[in-house]
Amino acid sequence: MSKAEMTIQARPAAAAKTGGRRWKLVRGNLDMYALLLPGLVFLLLFKYTPMYGILIAFQDFNIFAGIKGSEWVGLEQFRKLIHSDEFLQVLFNTLLISLYKIVILFPIPIVLALFLNEVRRMFFKRTIQTIIYLPHFLSWVIISGLFINILSPSGGLVNEVIRSLGGQPVSFLTENDWFRSVVVFTAGWKEIGWNAIVFIAAIAGIDQEQYEAAAIDGAGRIRQMISISLPGMLPTIMLMFILRIGSLLEAGTEQILTMYNPLVYDSGDVIGTFVYRMGLGQQDYSFSTAVGLFNSAVGFLLIVIGNMLSRKFLQRSIW
Amino acid sequence: MRGKKIGDYALDSVIYICLTLMGLATLLPFANVLSKSISEEWAIVAGKVGIIPVGFQLDTMRFVVTSSQFLHALFISALVAVIGTLASLLVTAMTAYPLSKRELPGTGALIVLFIFTMMFNGGIIPNYLLIRQLDLINNLGSLILPALVSVFNMLVVKSYFESLPPSLEESAKLEGARNYTILFRIILPLSGPVLATIGLFYAVYYWNDYFNPMLYINSSSLKPLQLYLQDIVMNADTSSALSADDLMNVPAEGVRSATVIASTIPILLVYPFLQKYFIKGVLIGSVKG
Repeated sequence: MSKAEMTIQARPAAAAKTGGRRWKLVRGNLDMYALLLPGLVFLLLFKYTPMYGILIAFQDFNIFAGIKGSEWVGLEQFRKLIHSDEFLQVLFNTLLISLYKIVILFPIPIVLALFLNEVRRMFFKRTIQTIIYLPHFLSWVIISGLFINILSPSGGLVNEVIRSLGGQPVSFLTENDWFRSVVVFTAGWKEIGWNAIVFIAAIAGIDQEQYEAAAIDGAGRIRQMISISLPGMLPTIMLMFILRIGSLLEAGTEQILTMYNPLVYDSGDVIGTFVYRMGLGQQDYSFSTAVGLFNSAVGFLLIVIGNMLSRKFLQRSIW
Repeated sequence: MRGKKIGDYALDSVIYICLTLMGLATLLPFANVLSKSISEEWAIVAGKVGIIPVGFQLDTMRFVVTSSQFLHALFISALVAVIGTLASLLVTAMTAYPLSKRELPGTGALIVLFIFTMMFNGGIIPNYLLIRQLDLINNLGSLILPALVSVFNMLVVKSYFESLPPSLEESAKLEGARNYTILFRIILPLSGPVLATIGLFYAVYYWNDYFNPMLYINSSSLKPLQLYLQDIVMNADTSSALSADDLMNVPAEGVRSATVIASTIPILLVYPFLQKYFIKGVLIGSVKG
């Protein structure tokens, strides 16, 4: 009997059969199962009951009749979905914003971590880290409040600068040409510093002897960054990238909800905000649940594929 | 040798300049909005306020932080954050402890059930309909119960429990202590750092949560700070959030700026703790994958 098993049993078990032993374990630890009860109720009620609620995506759901009393329509909602120009636009916006965020914002924290690693003045390093981690802890409502303020066409800082340089003020948050850029920029402003942390930790885990050996061989600091630090971070970079791809369809629902307005629906409406508008705004419950299911299913698929890639190339599972 | 030194010097210059610019870019919006909230009204209206205040007055700020709606929203947010965090910590620990015992029948299957919910969920509408069915619309429970256990946090606590030496529990077992006594008397008192870390995760989540209140709360007497702030920021006309005689001579732009700043202050006050424990937490998460 292992040590771990000793700790779990209330009384030493003498049963020879494994079935009997398992039963003894259960009976001897009934209070363990009692401890699990609140978490289990939570899991079933708030996680699995909504999954059952997905059934309304296959119905013409009537809120007064409930799931049992509503009419089944099969895949009708999904047919509507793929023929909806609005949905296709929303999908396009989601993918575009997400891809911008990945292509532009994924590499910056890596470079940032490399840069911070080269800083030898600890006071400077700590000060910069303290400043750039801060926005991570602020809600999107506050961040949007800040940027709506400084991007405002009437008296906002950015437009005052544009005006003083002789340009025309730009209404960044109400013009479709600008809205996505603002979304990507503000997401970067909030999270770039924070996202560097895992990479900083990855560099810290690299064996210092490698740097010493390279220095003896005459490698300069840039050479060391490229030939030692970067390859040393590679497993972390790949893992983070796989996880990032897993949330491809999450283009920043909460962020966009706090920033957008009907003038920029064409460029800024993404799956999350669309589900919210269709479901709670127009009370088209079945259709918006179908959109939500599409979202969850693709997300699930991406994570499963990501995990397969992670197992194959990094020999480690995401979960 | 000399060439290398010049190269190092150039590299350092590039790094220090980039990092300084990044730091300034992070501070700039705060500086601007802070200036606006303490500048004179005429200067704000004329668009003359940059990062340095023009004139100086605290009337706007005083008006904002003494407004009864602001204080009420602050109170609601604090209430949800405190109760939510305590409840979440308790249930998370109670769930993680049995699940950390691999030999206990059924734990393996339960862990799979928990992890599955990290990858797949019912989505916004089924969640909304559930809250409605439970009669939790316009009830602060709707802000806490659906977020009671974060599976990620639970797994962090579970792996911490697994890392504790079994000998801690063995002697108590021999003396006939029950499992819940061991959890509350022996294990939890030793789990200070991990509980602090995930407690802060939960607290920041509850404090910053905007999505759930937006879905489930529409009674103005139950609006938490984030919802109140959104009303002020988004409505060009501040009057909808402020009563008529409150308005008097306070400039809308100044009020909005001051509300944003006032809402940032609670986070700034706890930021030193956040920085310390969050970094630990994020690293536990990434190491355990």
